[in-house]
Amino acid sequence: MQNKLPLYLFLSLLLLLILATAALYMGVYEFEKHSFFEIFKALINDDNSISESDKFVLMDLRLPRIVMAILIGSALSVSGTCLQGMFKNPLASPDLIGITSGAILLGAITIVLGTHIKPYIPEVFHFSLLSIAAFLGALLTMTIVYRISTSNGKTNVVVMLLSGVAVTAMAFSTTGFLIYLSKEEELRDLTFWNLGSLGGATWTKNAILAVVIVVAFSFLITKGKALNAMMLGERDAQHLGIPVEKIKKRIIILTALLVGTCVAFSGNIGFVGLIVPYILRLIFKSNYHIILPMSAVFGSILLLTADTISRTIAAPSEIPIGILTAFMGAPIFIAILIRSKKSM
Amino acid sequence: MLEACKISYAHKKFSILENIDVSVNYGELLVIVGPNGAGKSTLLSMLANEMKHGEEPITFKKKTFEEWDQKELPLHKAKFSQQNSNDIPLTVTDVVMMGRYPYFNSVPHQTDLDAVMKSMEETDVLSMKDRDYNTLSGGERQRVHLARVLAQLENNIAHKLVFLDEPLNNLDVLHQHKILHTIKNFTELGNTAIVVLHDLNLAAQFADQVLLLKKGKIVSHDKPEKVFTKEIISKVYNFPCTICLNPVNQNPLIIFGT
Repeated sequence: MQNKLPLYLFLSLLLLLILATAALYMGVYEFEKHSFFEIFKALINDDNSISESDKFVLMDLRLPRIVMAILIGSALSVSGTCLQGMFKNPLASPDLIGITSGAILLGAITIVLGTHIKPYIPEVFHFSLLSIAAFLGALLTMTIVYRISTSNGKTNVVVMLLSGVAVTAMAFSTTGFLIYLSKEEELRDLTFWNLGSLGGATWTKNAILAVVIVVAFSFLITKGKALNAMMLGERDAQHLGIPVEKIKKRIIILTALLVGTCVAFSGNIGFVGLIVPYILRLIFKSNYHIILPMSAVFGSILLLTADTISRTIAAPSEIPIGILTAFMGAPIFIAILIRSKKSM
Repeated sequence: MLEACKISYAHKKFSILENIDVSVNYGELLVIVGPNGAGKSTLLSMLANEMKHGEEPITFKKKTFEEWDQKELPLHKAKFSQQNSNDIPLTVTDVVMMGRYPYFNSVPHQTDLDAVMKSMEETDVLSMKDRDYNTLSGGERQRVHLARVLAQLENNIAHKLVFLDEPLNNLDVLHQHKILHTIKNFTELGNTAIVVLHDLNLAAQFADQVLLLKKGKIVSHDKPEKVFTKEIISKVYNFPCTICLNPVNQNPLIIFGT
């Protein structure tokens, strides 16, 4: 099974590539030239054979959005898988345990209070300001939830989920309050955040996301063996030479970074970190050595598909992507609850 | 090979271990026995470097655990714990393969696969290698983890050390003896085993040295025939007993009750 991992990865990457190409064609705007090969060729040669609108839709709307779906889907589902390994429970996903909400809480405060300083700083730092706030929110919630729910390496699942509910309630009430205080432009930002959307994709955001993902993945993706061993219990994992404390700390910081950045750029897109590992577990059992790298690809596939549906199903308007992921995620949440009813 | 001085442990002012000195030699099978709450598992945990002990460091092969290279250490020592994690959604082979994690990075080598097969054979779990771990009974799970620990120490290093915390729980007679023979063979190769057992007769049959604990203190640490005497055992266990010679293997035979 373990030897086949490269094959599985290759096949799923191929699937992702096909889906991404298909997604380029989908949408309200129809390209004048129907072959992308021609368009790209024209772009590279920089001749004037393609219209400005074709160029704009492709390079500034569709492509950045597709890339963003791929990046955010991957980041969210890998952080979900890592958290599940650390909490030793398939219900631990960034949204259910309140990490997303924590990021939204601090982010929303930054949106409203940050307007006073925003005009004075360049665009790159706008994103960073929001990202840093969201990251801190995520990190803070993660630390609190972990401290409350885990003692001696064992997680109380009920407490874990309830602390998530508590943080979500706090974030919900605060954003509700902020909506009353905010001006029109901030209001738009806040609503966009609460529902989640990839509509704001730009190359700058993608670049920041890509850097964060490369940094986080280079540590996390290879930790499948460690997460497997931690299923034995943390002491037994230590006897196998796994530096458990160090790995847990890194998982906390890096998943907070991933979730914080995703929330800063795309708002509240829920359940990705729950759905993807759940499906992979059905196929590969809980072998993190396989499902961790696979979740990076399947997260992209899921979010890309969901985003393409969200912008085509009710065209020309767009339904928020968070609705679609929650629509898939909630039944899976219930399914896991029924399954693990006895062990809770 | 393993030396520890003045091990003490207290939990909320309630003393569990007091000033215990232990040293174990190469090729020795040390069995720790004692009534409930004597501190057997705690002592084993301390010796295996699972929790903070007193000020005096424990030395393993003349080095403290802190001085050891943390990547090297798992090849020299392993521990079998009383299992409390019951949810591991993997196959039996996957669980046993975890014992080989210190040896490979991403893909297991042929030696790893061989070691897994060999240890599964020794603990009689080869026939269930593709089954889900979660569908196994208590005794079968126990044997899977024993196989994992054996696989971990399957290498060419001399003088390895294994800690086993009540490895015979839930096992039937056949497997109790089979496991103890495996441990005995392991120590006869110059390795060391420290085992917590409940069954005094099995301890008498297999141990080189017996450490008898009561209420966190060492009552006796000696050869089995010196420890298992009528006076010591009936006093420590607070129950009358008779000790005679086992007619089959000439070891002390402990019979409780009058």
